[in-house]
Amino acid sequence: MAFVLAAAVAGTGALAACGGDDEGGDGNVTLTFWTHTHPPMIELNKTLIAEYQSKNPNVKIEYQQVPNTEFATKMLTSLSTGAGPDIINMDDNALRGEYFPKRLLSPVDPAGFGKSSVAEVEAEYVPGTLDGAKDAEGKLYGVPSEFNGTAFAINTKHFKDAGLDPATPPKTWQEVIDYGKKLNAAGHKQAFNFLYLHSGWYNQWFQTLANQTGGSILSADGKTAALNSPGSKKALELWVELARTSGIADPKTSSRDATAPYQDLASGTQSMAIVYPWSMDQIKESNPETYKDLAVVPLPQADATAQPVSRVYGYFWAVNAASKRKAEAWKFIAYLASARDRWLTDVSFVQPVKGWDTSAAAKQIPFIDVIAQAYANGRYDQVGPHWNEVQDTIHKAVDQAVFDGKPVDQVLNEANEAVQRSIGS
Amino acid sequence: MKRLLVWALATAGGLAFAAVLAYAVLSALKPGGEVLAVPLRWWPSRFEWHNFALPFEQTPFARYYANSVFVGVTVTLLNLVTCTLAGYSFSKFSYPGRNVAFVVVLATLMVPLEVIYVPLYALIYDLGWVNSFAGLIIPAGTSAFGIFLMRQAIDSVPDELLEAARLDGAGVLRTLLTIVGPLVRGPMAALALFIFLMNWDSHLWPLLVASDDDHRTLPVGLAAMQANNLGASGIPMMMAAAVLALVPTVALFLSLQKRFVEGVAMSAGLR
Amino acid sequence: MTTTTARTVRVSGSGRAPARRRRVHGRDLVGAALSLPALLLFAFFAIYPGLRVFYLSLFDYSLTAPPEFVGLDNFRFLAEDPRFRQAVLNSVFYTVGTYLPALALALALAVALRRKTRGLGWVRLLYFLPVATSWVAISVVWRLVLHPDGLLNETFHLDVNWLTSSSTARWALVIMGIWKETGFFLILFLAGLARMPEEVHEAALVDGANPWQRFWRVTFPLLKPITAICSVIAVIRGFQAFSPQVVLTGGAFDTEVVNLFVYKTAFESARMGRASAVAVLMFALLIAVTLVQLRVFRRTDT
Repeated sequence: MAFVLAAAVAGTGALAACGGDDEGGDGNVTLTFWTHTHPPMIELNKTLIAEYQSKNPNVKIEYQQVPNTEFATKMLTSLSTGAGPDIINMDDNALRGEYFPKRLLSPVDPAGFGKSSVAEVEAEYVPGTLDGAKDAEGKLYGVPSEFNGTAFAINTKHFKDAGLDPATPPKTWQEVIDYGKKLNAAGHKQAFNFLYLHSGWYNQWFQTLANQTGGSILSADGKTAALNSPGSKKALELWVELARTSGIADPKTSSRDATAPYQDLASGTQSMAIVYPWSMDQIKESNPETYKDLAVVPLPQADATAQPVSRVYGYFWAVNAASKRKAEAWKFIAYLASARDRWLTDVSFVQPVKGWDTSAAAKQIPFIDVIAQAYANGRYDQVGPHWNEVQDTIHKAVDQAVFDGKPVDQVLNEANEAVQRSIGS
Repeated sequence: MKRLLVWALATAGGLAFAAVLAYAVLSALKPGGEVLAVPLRWWPSRFEWHNFALPFEQTPFARYYANSVFVGVTVTLLNLVTCTLAGYSFSKFSYPGRNVAFVVVLATLMVPLEVIYVPLYALIYDLGWVNSFAGLIIPAGTSAFGIFLMRQAIDSVPDELLEAARLDGAGVLRTLLTIVGPLVRGPMAALALFIFLMNWDSHLWPLLVASDDDHRTLPVGLAAMQANNLGASGIPMMMAAAVLALVPTVALFLSLQKRFVEGVAMSAGLR
Repeated sequence: MTTTTARTVRVSGSGRAPARRRRVHGRDLVGAALSLPALLLFAFFAIYPGLRVFYLSLFDYSLTAPPEFVGLDNFRFLAEDPRFRQAVLNSVFYTVGTYLPALALALALAVALRRKTRGLGWVRLLYFLPVATSWVAISVVWRLVLHPDGLLNETFHLDVNWLTSSSTARWALVIMGIWKETGFFLILFLAGLARMPEEVHEAALVDGANPWQRFWRVTFPLLKPITAICSVIAVIRGFQAFSPQVVLTGGAFDTEVVNLFVYKTAFESARMGRASAVAVLMFALLIAVTLVQLRVFRRTDT
């Protein structure tokens, strides 16, 4: 009996020791690299990893993909507990709202890029596009893996069915509703839908609309919640009108597959959607037939008379502050970033380096002019501390307004209080 | 007559209960588009046995399954050892502090484990056991319920037998192995079954402690798979995965029903 | 707990070693050592964290930054926090909504199905099966059952969006809970009924009491102890709920129960101090509720 016990304890002790030892004594380096799950991106990552490993035989890269719905939690928990990967690939909201306040990342090392200063690294990029990875003091923590402006996709075949001209797409949300009703009449019951996936997605839509209606989650100084401002109210009211009261689609039947978020658009079920460059690429690969029917047009606006306003967001490659191989990590990131053209042509991931929109690679992307224009009108989100909680609050508020039909005023007042409690504690 | 009516009602209820499981199995065998077809048709138009291969093809399901089996068996064995030893110790020996220790153990039965997960996680993190099997197995290596059970069971072993063994010169462990052990085989089997079941089901702790693909157990993996397949196209795979995950505990239950029922009754202190 | 029956059956001379003070034999020392593996595991992984929860609840702690002492701030925050209040309400709703019907149904079924005939054995099995299923896997199944075009709506010709509305999501979880948990308590009640002396039952029959009176005057009072245990277990299980909420709704639509709130607070928002405070409050609440239940059942014990 005692033997069995001793063996059991010894065995489990040995298991504990097998916790991933990464540095061989002979200069071999193992880097861990985690990303979310976007199939086209994963393919190119794997290709680039193989290339890097063959060019650098002493480096091994362990690449892990995390399911999208747990991505935010898993990244935060792992980084917080020092169990995270060397190289991360995360969106600007998380970087600025969670990781910088918690000091989880390490600033850009220009040596990895073969440059002598961070300013030299920054000089390659279009001004302002790196703001998503800069902390309050302006220090840079990553380079973009994808930089997305917001555009709009329409199914031209559905339009023709409804007697609508694809060459005159809806320019305002009101027109989206009008067109939507005509599409419904022609048998296309899901004219326009938002995507109701995890909290990050809810936030994307809310911020996009709020940018246009003059609303925001936080006040200008970022110290108080501003969800019950007139502009924010208008944003949520607009959402409720589009999703619930106009009847142009049923939000409850919107697909919720986080790995293929644009499934409804791709399968020809949905007629119009808010899209990003990578969305179109993913649809091209999964549903080439429907892709032929799709056209990318500028994002509809809340106010036809005002300057068009959009939204941008980005994912950045960055290095874990707890990493023991920071220099090698930045070298690998520099290699990933150098494959600009392939990111553009293979995955439609835009790296906003100067002149990207006029490069040969860019010219191969259909609708590149619409997309390039989208960036000019867009801006990064304003983010605050404990941003995860804030995003959850927005998620709940939208659920209540759109699915439960609760009054927007009441919903936003409660949400405002919750956000205030989150950022103030 | 009234009795027959009552039995008929109870049987109807039972069939309604079982209908959910039948629905699960049949849905797993249907071609994708048929599962949510309206109106509901129970029987598949054709049997897509291939659906059961989907979880293995598209996700690390095999890994999750293997991890759950490995962790489940190891935890069960550890529990059998620690709880039997402790039950024997509390039951047949007298030493200062024994009663206090036992009361403390019992008191923890009142409190759901979730209450201590945060500091327990911090401890596991400090030990470096995050994302390792050690973190999954060692904290679960014993249980108040198991200790209580084994003490109850060993209580009913006649003292005369132990006395006789002692006079024969048998040591403490020898007595346990040759006299006590065989007499409490039944409760030990029930305990093993129950521990395995509880562990197979464990979701929150493994989610915290071992969420990388190499160490993920079935509940955590399954929940992640579900979250990634909320659309209609993922239903055949998810149903197949769910059915596959249900099989071990349901099969164990069916084959060891008596022991299982004993185990549940014992968990409430009844025998 | 009624152990009298057991005692009369037990072979004389068995049982526990007396705890009276006497010279501790060498043998007893060896025996004491046997409990060490279990006790050590207990001390490290149950007692120590159990005490640490109280300590951590006084800090603002995010695991990588050093803990910051904040005194009772966490408790103050929770006292005013609408989200925490809602989580407690959600847990209470789930516990009462699931376990009250489950216990009542289990009791009724136990009385109806207590005969040992073969056919009834099969019927009992049908109710036991849900107990043998694992929570996460069966939640995946119930996700389909609760789909607008799934089993539940189709069978009863309903058109309810179970999982995407605040008015119905919590009921959906209750329905699943009742389905899963009734069998568990059926086992317990059957065990309790089986231990009831048959003579008492016969006597009531001879007295000419009708089935209803028989139940209330004879059966139910004798089941008091088991009902007490069952209700204590039920409350604890109710507050342990986690998997169904995670898989079915992710906590949306007013189904964020306390466990889920703790998980999100500790691990998504990295506020471990506050999560510990919740744990302390839950601990206190459950102890209080348990004591109340035991007192209620003891007082009505004849």
